[in-house]
Amino acid sequence: MIAEGKIYFKYLRMHLLSGMEYKGWWLMLIQVLVVVISDPIATVLLFSRFGNIGEWTVAHIILVYSLAVASFGLAESLCRGFDYFPWQMLRSGDFDRLLLRPRSLFVQVAASRFHLHRLVRPITGICAAGWALSELGVSLTLGKIGILTMALAGGCIMYCGVFVLTSGLAFFTIKGLDWIYILTNASYQITRCPEPYMPKALKSMFSFVLPMLFISFYPAATVCGWGYPEWLGYLSLPAGAVFLGVSLLVWRFGVRHYKSTGS
Amino acid sequence: MNFRNTCKASSSLFRIRMAEGLQYRASAISGVFVSVFWGFLECVLFTVFYTYSDNGAWNNNGLSLSQTISYVWLAQGLFILQSMNIDGEIMAKINNGDVGVELCRPMNLYTHWFVKSSAGKLGTSWLRSLATILAGLMMPVSYALGAPASALGFACFLLSVVMAFVLCSAFAMFVTAIRLNITWGDGPTYMLLLFSGILSGTYLPLRLWPDFMQTFLYLQPFGGFADIPVQLYIGSLAPSGALPAIGLQLFWSALFIFAGRSIMTRKLKSIIVQGG
Repeated sequence: MIAEGKIYFKYLRMHLLSGMEYKGWWLMLIQVLVVVISDPIATVLLFSRFGNIGEWTVAHIILVYSLAVASFGLAESLCRGFDYFPWQMLRSGDFDRLLLRPRSLFVQVAASRFHLHRLVRPITGICAAGWALSELGVSLTLGKIGILTMALAGGCIMYCGVFVLTSGLAFFTIKGLDWIYILTNASYQITRCPEPYMPKALKSMFSFVLPMLFISFYPAATVCGWGYPEWLGYLSLPAGAVFLGVSLLVWRFGVRHYKSTGS
Repeated sequence: MNFRNTCKASSSLFRIRMAEGLQYRASAISGVFVSVFWGFLECVLFTVFYTYSDNGAWNNNGLSLSQTISYVWLAQGLFILQSMNIDGEIMAKINNGDVGVELCRPMNLYTHWFVKSSAGKLGTSWLRSLATILAGLMMPVSYALGAPASALGFACFLLSVVMAFVLCSAFAMFVTAIRLNITWGDGPTYMLLLFSGILSGTYLPLRLWPDFMQTFLYLQPFGGFADIPVQLYIGSLAPSGALPAIGLQLFWSALFIFAGRSIMTRKLKSIIVQGG
């Protein structure tokens, strides 16, 4: 286990250094920052035109949204390899080489890519969450910080699960996986809708299929005291872990049925 | 090379790319799924804002809820015309030096690539577009795409969609011409494409942006991608306003084509062919 961890970080270091060899590497940081900031613009503009929705102000939405985005960004940074896996590694046949090495497949695939600029998303997200909390007048205690950290960790694990699931499914359908976009970049968009007004179908899909609300909305509700049962806020880690567990089963099944592709 | 031969070559290029695009049906179906989900989500959001927000009843700048929902579906359909990146095949040619081979062909490079990239986009996207709009029509009543405001408005809409296609292609070629300057990398072109996407109205109907920006939003080129045709359909832009709006699309297309062409000819004089 320790050896695998060492390899993981060695891989990351290698990718980081090779990425920094490009002269304009910091340009990518700015580029991602623009993408990240422009994404919630529509929501902010809507609030400025229509005013608050009941008790929901723009700060409420930004808090829930930024928790979701930050955890997505973390997963994207740490598990980037799985994100690329179906599109590149599997199709090109490079996966066969990994199978020959006597090391954990999960670590090898997860660390097969790392881009520094992916870290911009979680950092911006965490800053936005901090802004929203101060706007809402919530004073942070140690317990509250604990809940938020757990939410981020749980969310990161959940999104890693999504990437692993995609890779697992890719063994069976080499093409036509675009719908998975609903579980990645489109999924955190649902946090733009205030939870009490969300249609039932959407709400149950994003709490029981993909435990999206458990890693963003309920922790935020517990921290700010929006009158939801408190224990719901502590479920982020277990919910993410369950999702990752199921995804790992699919991945295992896929690996076992893998017949080589590419040349 | 004379005009007739150019037309002939263009039409065969167009046919080849269309047929190619139709090969990837599984990925197209998968893409429709995402567009419909996205459209549905937007509908939910707008319904919440229009129904429950403090100023929902009056502060919508002349865009009613049912109009906004129609807007969402049509914009989803038209969004596919916009390119999020430069045509893959052309990009590969720029990067690995096949530009040299392309220059040997007895056809203007700009025309060649224009036809190729626009056909490539149309080939994969027209089915997706239609399927998304069809799904919008079949939604439950409160989330459904409504009928056009008037027959005349619908005719203007169709004309404007054609212009939007030309405009999107012209802009994509403009970006490609900039990208020929290989040392800059992807950064600047990516930003240009991102801004065009935001200002096209597919993020948020342009009418719902702050009031002081409205004149700017009307005159800027990217509204022609989606906002102008859609507004003609839902009737928030009356058919009497269609002529100037379509004229605006025409003006920007001409400007982008001119700029793209001149950047390209200038660039080709001093091009360094990469690779071997």
